[in-house]
Amino acid sequence: MKSSLWQAVKLVFVKEFTVGMRFKAAWAAMFMFALTTLACVSLALQGGGLEPKLSAALLWIIIFFASMAGADRVFADEDTAGTLLTLKLYGGAQPVLWGKMLYTFFLLLVLSFFIAPLFLVLTGTEAVAGGVFLLTLFLGTAGLAAAGTLLAALTTGAQVKSGLFSVLMLPVILPVFLPAIFLTAAAFGAGEVPVSFLGGMALYDAILAMGASVLFDYLWYED
Amino acid sequence: MGVILGGLTLVIVGLVFFVVPPAEGLGYYVRIAFFHIPVAWVAVIAFLVSAFQGAKYLRGHELAADAKSAAAAQLGFVFVILATVSGAIFSKLTWGAYWNWDPRQTTIFVLLLIYGAYLTLRGAMPAGHKRARAAAVYSLFSFLTVPFLVFIIPRLYFSLHPSPVLNGSGLAMDHLMLAVLLAALVDVTGIFYWLHKKQAARLMQEGERL
Repeated sequence: MKSSLWQAVKLVFVKEFTVGMRFKAAWAAMFMFALTTLACVSLALQGGGLEPKLSAALLWIIIFFASMAGADRVFADEDTAGTLLTLKLYGGAQPVLWGKMLYTFFLLLVLSFFIAPLFLVLTGTEAVAGGVFLLTLFLGTAGLAAAGTLLAALTTGAQVKSGLFSVLMLPVILPVFLPAIFLTAAAFGAGEVPVSFLGGMALYDAILAMGASVLFDYLWYED
Repeated sequence: MGVILGGLTLVIVGLVFFVVPPAEGLGYYVRIAFFHIPVAWVAVIAFLVSAFQGAKYLRGHELAADAKSAAAAQLGFVFVILATVSGAIFSKLTWGAYWNWDPRQTTIFVLLLIYGAYLTLRGAMPAGHKRARAAAVYSLFSFLTVPFLVFIIPRLYFSLHPSPVLNGSGLAMDHLMLAVLLAALVDVTGIFYWLHKKQAARLMQEGERL
């Protein structure tokens, strides 16, 4: 049973990846948004340095809003293309959720590992604790993917979509977002690294993923 | 019920302004606490009611539970604004700044964001079971932030406490003050209960008309 669930999750992931590579809209929107915002920050700085805390906050604001430009499409695109009903007929709730969550995580992880080095280079910031920085990026994007996938499903039927996803996302993701900024600031040299925050982020990521898993059934199986 | 609550409110206002003595270190600023603490309490209670009714909707698919959840969130939004504004005034008078991301200010602000997001979601969807389901799911999903607000936020922002007024042993209150505060808590909770009943019934009627 477990292996068949994993197989189904893998199938959904591969489907998402194939469609994503074919149309590239989500990828292009996210990467270009991140790049444009980063260019604005760098241009405004004109080579001037940034405080580690401000650097960390700016980096996570870029990642957060860039991910909002792509992660919200995970169900909306299916709805527009008319494939959502087919997926509902053939796919169970859990494989669909975990497959799409895994894909969103992959997408956001690639985005983070694309934008973070560019950010460091263009703002002249140095990552003193590289390992902590990488782990923070990993856990931060995992949280964004876990919450983002459920909220993307939630907003599918909304008449007004513009901005709604970010509005719903921010309060839910704050428990990941704030420790991520603190950890990143510490990794940029703003003092001692609060390692316990990494555990807290991992725990909250797991809570978000489990919560999404339990609640997704109610969205997927309509009366 | 409205008349009883109105009478009780007048009595409490009278007690706060004419009987309750000034608090040590706070003087007459303590009067704000008799308004601020009850509205903040109700803002949190409304969040619990909204999530509970949301869960009830998901189990029974009854639109009455959805109407109760929405009514609690709508009232909670008003109460959380009142708590935020009164808290900011209290903060200015005692700490010298309207806002400094004190753990409690952060908590109430996150609550404000959650209520705002919940109501935005409802506003963006047509009435019916689909909206009720989405709203209930969001209400429960946002409830997952509670451990963070209670346990982690105070660790993140502990250094921003310029004064132990609210974070130490609490307000130094004598028996009279405490009794008036408890009465105010009961009164404002009663007001919430009364308004919630009326608003839920109104939302149900609106839903039936649609």
